[in-house]
Amino acid sequence: MKLIKFKLLFGGIFYKKLRLFLSILGITIGVASLFTMHTFGESARVRTLQQIETFGPNLLMIVSGQARVRAGRALQAEQTTTLKLEDAQALRRISEITNISPFYTGSAIVRQGGRNISTVINGVNEEYLKIRKFEISEGRNFLKDEIVGFKKVAILGHKVKKELFGNGKAEGETILINRLPFIVIGVLSPIGVDASNQDQDDQILIPITTAMSALFNVDYITGIYVAVSSPDVVPIVEKQIDEILLKRHKVSPKDRDFNIIKAEDIFKFRQEASQLFTTLVQSVSILCLIVGSLGVTAVMLLSVNERRKEIGLRLAIGADRLKILLQFLLESIFISFLGGLIGLFLGIFASIIFLPLLKYPLVIAWRPIIVSSLLTIIFGLISGIYPAYRASKIDPAILLKGM
Amino acid sequence: MEKNFIVNLIDVTKVYFIGKVKYEVLKGINLDIEKGDFVAIMGPSGGGKSTLLNILGLLDRPTSGKYFFEGKEVSKLSAGELARIRNSRIGFVFQAFHLVPWASALENVLMPLLYGGGITKEKIEYAKNLLERLGLSAYLHFRPPELSGGQQQRVAIARALINNPILLLADEPTGNLDSKSSNEVMDILQELNNQGLTIVMVTHDQEIAKRAKKIKILKDGQFIE
Repeated sequence: MKLIKFKLLFGGIFYKKLRLFLSILGITIGVASLFTMHTFGESARVRTLQQIETFGPNLLMIVSGQARVRAGRALQAEQTTTLKLEDAQALRRISEITNISPFYTGSAIVRQGGRNISTVINGVNEEYLKIRKFEISEGRNFLKDEIVGFKKVAILGHKVKKELFGNGKAEGETILINRLPFIVIGVLSPIGVDASNQDQDDQILIPITTAMSALFNVDYITGIYVAVSSPDVVPIVEKQIDEILLKRHKVSPKDRDFNIIKAEDIFKFRQEASQLFTTLVQSVSILCLIVGSLGVTAVMLLSVNERRKEIGLRLAIGADRLKILLQFLLESIFISFLGGLIGLFLGIFASIIFLPLLKYPLVIAWRPIIVSSLLTIIFGLISGIYPAYRASKIDPAILLKGM
Repeated sequence: MEKNFIVNLIDVTKVYFIGKVKYEVLKGINLDIEKGDFVAIMGPSGGGKSTLLNILGLLDRPTSGKYFFEGKEVSKLSAGELARIRNSRIGFVFQAFHLVPWASALENVLMPLLYGGGITKEKIEYAKNLLERLGLSAYLHFRPPELSGGQQQRVAIARALINNPILLLADEPTGNLDSKSSNEVMDILQELNNQGLTIVMVTHDQEIAKRAKKIKILKDGQFIE
């Protein structure tokens, strides 16, 4: 009986299937994009947080040159050669610094067996792994002697190891980096992409001394990683580093030839970038919903016009105008909600497919689901007001004019 | 007012304005319809037949004059009260049937219950019963487009009867039907009248009008003898 009642009230919606499809299309697209983008935004946020973990709040990075943080990345505006290994040594006298590792980054061709790959070579010291909180899955870390002694030893990133050795053992094997033989002493656990957007699995770590002399033949370094005792002392340490380096480089603050980057900076810029993205996408989706609901309005107007006789009949058999108004308002809400529901499913579907594909963590948040559902109901209501008003104003006298 | 009058129209007029032009459609109509009457209203097109039927059916209000329905002055009632009277006391049959195409015959008959009475098991049984009495027992679940004109009109009559109205208003009920179906429909209306239902019917057709007990001619907004 409920079913018959429901059918007699809303059966008209399903009578013209194509029209129903067209009217929900706009809403469906709007909600699907709203939801998908929301999910992507949320996922990006979670990913950023994960990346920040590899660049902890107690870390500082000093890079040479006029580096800037842009869009969450440390960009080196120009290469300068003024940052030296001795600068890193000099920083050790700051008491709050617990670990320090200079680094030199270059790229090289690596050969093993018949395989050639091109990868990133990072010259570091034995403290680097501790600073970055990188784990070793096989073998061991560098020894201090190996760093001081210009030893040709290497720790492979997870992906590099896979490419060179597959599932086999890498420890103890010899690889050629730019034709120089290095002995593999360890392999890193999978890390992923870090805050500077570099794939930390696609790299080889070697002693900084070896990198600067034998491999790249330079007398300067790319930067210095510094770990401090607690996040609270970061500002003090930053200031001290700045003073020491300015003095050593004999430059005024305005000609500073190095840059100090904190986790906070990266996080802040990342947040701003994703905020901008989210706002943009949300505005577009809302716009899409508005266009969609205009579509619903247009189709409902058409439908009201087409069903004038049905409306007249309902009035003649005892409906009052309020009931007609409510009926058509509910129809609009129903249509939008149906569109929204389908859009939601499409959005969830798209998220499940594309998030893993783009290597984003799969996050299905409740907030966008609730927000989109509410929005479709509201837009349905808004888009239904005028058609429903028109429906309620139909004169039942038309019934008697023959056809 | 005496009890057995269903409709008393006293000096009812209806004036339309189209733009600035004034149309006097009804010019002082006096009409009494007793319980059990079967009145046919005839007359040329534009004579005001449809307007009169709209007023009788509480779908329109007179410009002036008084309308007593079952002894109650209805010209002053609210729209909601009028809707309730239409729902419970008046049945409509139209020339173009006006069934909803997406619902079955049975569902169409149940439609008025949405707005009064409610859809109950008993009412569904009653609706089936009505359709059976009108010879449609095999077509309960057919949709209007699958039915012939005569069958559709019989469904419409069943719909008009579902709430046991006191007055049936029929606007050219045979206007869209062939002569065989017309006769069938008129047989049904006569039968209903014999059972005590009061009927007011508008028609062009002399033969059809003769089936009624009384014939009234409406011309230029007035009844003529």
